[in-house]
Order: sequence, then structure tokens, then C-alpha cells
Amino acid sequence: MIRFLLKGILRDKNRSMLPVIIITIGVTLTILLSGYLKGVMGDLTDQNARFETGHVKVMTRAYYENKDQLPNDLALLDAAALTDTLRKAFPDMQWVNRIRFGGLIDVPDGDDGSKGQGPAVGMALELLSASSGEIQRMNIPGALVKGHLPARSGEALIGHDFATKLNVKIGDEITYMGATMNGSLTFYRFSVSGTLRFGSAGLDRGAIIIDISDARTMLDMEDATGEILGFFESNVYNDDLALAHAARFNSRYVQVRNEYAPVMIALRDQNNLAGYLDYVDMFSLLFVGIFVFAMSIVLWNTGLLGGLRRYQEFGIRLALGEEKGHIYRTLVYEAILIGAIGSVIGTCTGLLGIWYLQVHGIDISGMMKNSTMMMPSVLRARFTPDLLYIGFIPGLFAMVFGNMLSGIGIYKRQTAALFKELEV
Amino acid sequence: MRPVAYTKQLVPGTKNPEPDFAYVNTFNMKQEKIITLEHVTKRFPVGDGEFAALRDITLDFQKGEFAGLVGPSGSGKTTLLNIIGSLDSPTEGTAMVMGKRISALSHKQSARLRNLHLGFIFQVFNLLPVYTVYENVEFSLLLQNRSASERKKAVMEALEWVGLEKMANKKPAKISGGEGQRVAIARAMVKRPEIVLADEPTANLDAKNAHAIIQTMKKLNEELGTTFLFSTHDEKVMSYLDRLVHLNDGKVAQDELVNHKTKTP
Ligand SMILES: Nc1ncnc2c1ncn2[C@@H]1O[C@H](COP(=O)(O)OP(=O)(O)O)[C@@H](O)[C@H]1O
Ligand SMILES: [Mg+2]
Repeated sequence: MIRFLLKGILRDKNRSMLPVIIITIGVTLTILLSGYLKGVMGDLTDQNARFETGHVKVMTRAYYENKDQLPNDLALLDAAALTDTLRKAFPDMQWVNRIRFGGLIDVPDGDDGSKGQGPAVGMALELLSASSGEIQRMNIPGALVKGHLPARSGEALIGHDFATKLNVKIGDEITYMGATMNGSLTFYRFSVSGTLRFGSAGLDRGAIIIDISDARTMLDMEDATGEILGFFESNVYNDDLALAHAARFNSRYVQVRNEYAPVMIALRDQNNLAGYLDYVDMFSLLFVGIFVFAMSIVLWNTGLLGGLRRYQEFGIRLALGEEKGHIYRTLVYEAILIGAIGSVIGTCTGLLGIWYLQVHGIDISGMMKNSTMMMPSVLRARFTPDLLYIGFIPGLFAMVFGNMLSGIGIYKRQTAALFKELEV
Repeated sequence: MRPVAYTKQLVPGTKNPEPDFAYVNTFNMKQEKIITLEHVTKRFPVGDGEFAALRDITLDFQKGEFAGLVGPSGSGKTTLLNIIGSLDSPTEGTAMVMGKRISALSHKQSARLRNLHLGFIFQVFNLLPVYTVYENVEFSLLLQNRSASERKKAVMEALEWVGLEKMANKKPAKISGGEGQRVAIARAMVKRPEIVLADEPTANLDAKNAHAIIQTMKKLNEELGTTFLFSTHDEKVMSYLDRLVHLNDGKVAQDELVNHKTKTP
């Protein structure tokens, strides 16, 4: 019987073509959108992790609560010991210290005057220690526009546009003005070794990157650090594991009633990323839901039309002694076959599209010029195993559901009424 | 109304004993009532009211009859065939087919009755267009879950009966009208039903094909003992029938037995 039905589907193009095309389009769109969202989300998470949040981040509780103000007066003390503890407790992660700071950059004209000044957002990294991996992590070689990486202390990298605005050239001296950890005024002189452009307005605006040893001297932060970031060795964020690590670490300090006690925060709980992650999940789900609904309605209608066209066939089959219920079931089997065919094709084309986006990407840097959001400038989709079924199952479901609905109409008709269609 | 002698044979114990031996011979051998209709009335809702397509029909048919419902268009022939074919049921009265009361059958049971015991032939040949001649004929056997080899044997035999074994792999669109109706006969006969219901089977055929079709059915009637019940207003068909039940306005106007040799009125 299945063979009989399959023959019918394959030979009657009218019956199968339209639903297959509809399902193929729907499934393809679902997969493209999901993969694209995964890609955007993945890139966003990745970029946030590298530049700001780490996969987990350790700070003092007070620093965490005020982190937008870059409050180095609330920094972690005994940084070396704490970092060491973290390395031992969580050997699956790489741990680095970072200090973030704000202040003013002044460019002296060599005559006690000033060529230019501008507010700066600085980041101090373990630049001079090769084992930290920070240079690669921040993709500094890729972002370097002019000059070279700092080779010794006292050298700094600054944002390329910032440099242009301040009229600074490679090798020029600049002065940082700001407050130390203890609140006193500090001046520190750097020579500009290179200029950078990360391609993200939020990062490039007024950026200065220095080695952390300079920052410690400059900000009076001997053996202190604003943040300790942890990265999984695999470089891939694992939400469950990060949350588990954070919970384990934080449980040691639950009894401590001290705002300087360290606290570990997973990526998802920083920068509202949880919101993003959940939003993307919800959006995916919503899209799939709308897709299933719309597809079901369209397929219901094509099912009805197909059914009308086939009343003659149903009449004959009834006359030959097939039961109505059996006819209805064969309609459902047919829907499963057609739905599966459409969903397989749709999944293939969708994955092909994802593959293209994953390999080539779409450059949207033109649209991102004025954005302060930390967004990647090339949108990429990302293949994840769930794409194999995220389109397939709804495609199949929509077809079967739509045909079950339309089939009920046929089922409800009186045998004689169906049979009437046989008369000319 | 029905000839007296015939009535006597069908209903033992009736008063009129006058024998008419021409008919006794025909029906003596197969005295089994295969279709019995008693006071069958069928009304269809039309607008606010009802329309009686059949009124108080009382009739029966013996196993092996080659009979026809004749009458003008709209006289109720198709309605009556549909009731006998368990595709519809009477509003009043009882219709018994193969000992089963039509109005008491469930969907399942009536489907089973059609599948095992009834064959249908329609005015339009109604072959499933996407399937080959072979597959069209095979379908009822698929429903009966017969084995592949059994199906093949039965289908080829049925196609031989109608002389179409060479057309087995053709699609319905590729064969002529006469051939199409012969496929329909093969499809009805392949499961060797007790009763074949043929609703105006020659209406769309030319004279030559009409004769060929009806002769084929007559032959099957004689060889297999299958009961044939036609609906027709085609003189050519009537000339082969042994019994004509005239319907008019949903009522039996006349029930005549036809002796082809003596041409009894
Ligand atoms: N489903 C129906 N609803 C209403 N009227 C019907 C229906 N089926 C048949 N009729 C009417 O019943 C009468 C008999 O129809 P039918 O049995 O098809 O006649 P015949 O086959 O002798 O031409 C016709 O007047 C027809 O219009
Ligand atoms: Mg009719």
C-alpha cells in the first residue's frame, strides 16, 4: 500500500510539487534564520568574552556592582595569590589579569603646552608576557594599523582614529592623566608604538592599551588588579560549565560579609548577555512557531484543494471497498512522505546557505559606523547540530497537521456525497 | 408488474400456481435471493422540503441474474444502485444484500461488503489516472492484503477476460474509451464479486464498443455466475438483459422477464 501511495505521489506532480516547494522554502528560511541568529549570538558572545567579560570574570563584589565606573579603588588585592589559586582550582581555564581605567590623554607640544587632549578608556593587559595569550585573544596584530606591538614597558597602543584626532604619530610621547587607586592624581608618560582599529566603534573610541605592569605603577596598584578573566582552553563558551564554576567559586565566600571579597561572574550574567541569549532563543522559538502556523494554514489549503481535485479518486476507492478511515490514514501517510521529502530538501538548502554564511559571511561594517554596541562587523551564520532538526520537524509537522485538517473535511462528507462526484 | 410465474418461483407459497417453464428453467438452478428490497423509499432533503427519489420499492434479485433498471433520466436508477451498493442507505424500508441489511452496516462493514462482494462499473470509466491499467485493476486486491503472486495471477486473468493483457502497463490516458470500460470491468471482476453493479456502462461508448462490453459481461455472467445489475436506457444493453425493471418517478412501473428467443412482452 505504501508503494502504491508513493507511486501516486511521484507520478502526480500536482499533488506533491506545491507542498514540497512550500515546505522547502519554509524549512530553508527557518534554518537560515536560526543559524544566522546562532552565528550573530556566537560572534557577539565571543567578542564580548575576548574584549570584556571573559568566559568568567573575578572581581570584588563592590567592583562588580559599580563596574561601569571603572572603580579601581575597589580592585582586588593580592592579585598574584588569587590568580594562582584560580589556576589550581580551575585548571581547564586560562586566567589573566586586566585593569580597565579612564582618564585623559594629553599630547605635549614639547613646549610645556598641549597639542591636543581627549578622554580615554584604557585597558591594561598582560601584553609583555607571551604565555597570557592576550595579544591573540584581543586580535591586536589584526587590528594594528600602524607601528608595532609594545616591546617594553612605557609603550602604548592607541586607537587609530583617536591618534588622528590628537594628531599623534608613531613614536610620539603622550601623557596619561588620571587618578590612582587611592584617589591621588597621576601623570604617566608613554611613547606610542602603534595605532589600532578593532572595527567596533565602542572599542575604538578613545582607546589606549598598555601593559599591566605600567598600569600597576601608574595607578599605584602594586599586586592589585581590577579583574581576573578566565577563558576555557577550548576558547568556546560553555554556559553550563561557566555557571558551575562560578557557583563553586562563590560558595567559598558566601560566609564572608565583605564587599572586597572576590566574586566570579559567568559571561551570561554580565553585560545583560543573559537577556540577549534568552531573547535569541525566544526569537528562534517564536519564528518557528509562526512558521509552523503559517505553513499549516497554507498546507491545509493546498490539502483542501488537492482533496477537492481527488474526490473522484476517493469515490472510486470507496466504491472498491476502501474504508473512509483508511483513506484518511493514507492521506496522512502521504503527507508524511511529502513532508519528509520537502523537509529533507529544505534542510539541505538551508544548511548550504548556512555553510556559505559561515565561510564567507556578510560584511555589515558599513551599517555599523555609528554604533556603540559591541557588535561584530561581519555577520556569520554558525552551524549547530540542532539545525538538522529545527526545520525538519516543523516542516513535517506543518504538512501532516495541515493535511489532517483538510482531510477531516473529506472524512466528514457522506459516502454517497463523495460518490456523487463520480457522476457526470 | 412482475410476471406471475416468476413471482411464484421467488416467493414459494404464493397463490398463483401457473407455471411458465421458459423462466422456471432459467431460475430453478439459482434460487438464491441475493438482493432483497422491501418498501424501500429514499428521500433527499431539497431546500426546505424533501424529494422522494425512490418510493416504496419492493424487489428481489436472484443469484446469477443479468438484469437491468431501466427508465428515463431522474427516475431513480442510480439512487437504487447506490443503496444496493451500500454507498447510501434507504430512508425507509429494508435493503438486504448478501443477507446483510444495508442500513445496519457500519462504515467498516459496508466497505468490507463492497470490497469482498460487490463490483462497480460506472458511466465514466473512472480509472485512477496516475496508475497503470494493471495497478488500477490491482487496487481492490491490495485492499484485501492479497500476496503479490496472488494479485498478479488474478489481475492478469481479469485482463485476459476483457482481452487487455497487452495493455497492462499503459496509463488510462493512453487507451480508448472502449478499452477504458473494459479495464473497469476487469477491475470490478478481479476479486470475483458476487454482484456487479453497472451504472449506464455504455453511455459513453459507440455502438460497436457497447456491444463488445455487454457481450463480455454476459460471458462472465454465464461462466462465473456473477449477478449483474445494470442501470441503463440504452436499447443495445436492454437487448441482452434477461429482466428489465422499469422505474418511473422512483416507482417500479413494470418488472418484465425477457425471453430472447420467444420475445415475451
Ligand atoms: N443527493 C441528492 N440530493 C437531492 N436529490 C437527489 C440526490 N441524488 C439524486 N437526487 C434526485 O433523485 C432523482 C433520481 O436521481 P438518480 O437516481 O440519479 O436518477 P437516474 O440515475 O435514474 O438518472 C433525481 O431527480 C435527482 O435529482
Ligand atoms: Mg443515473
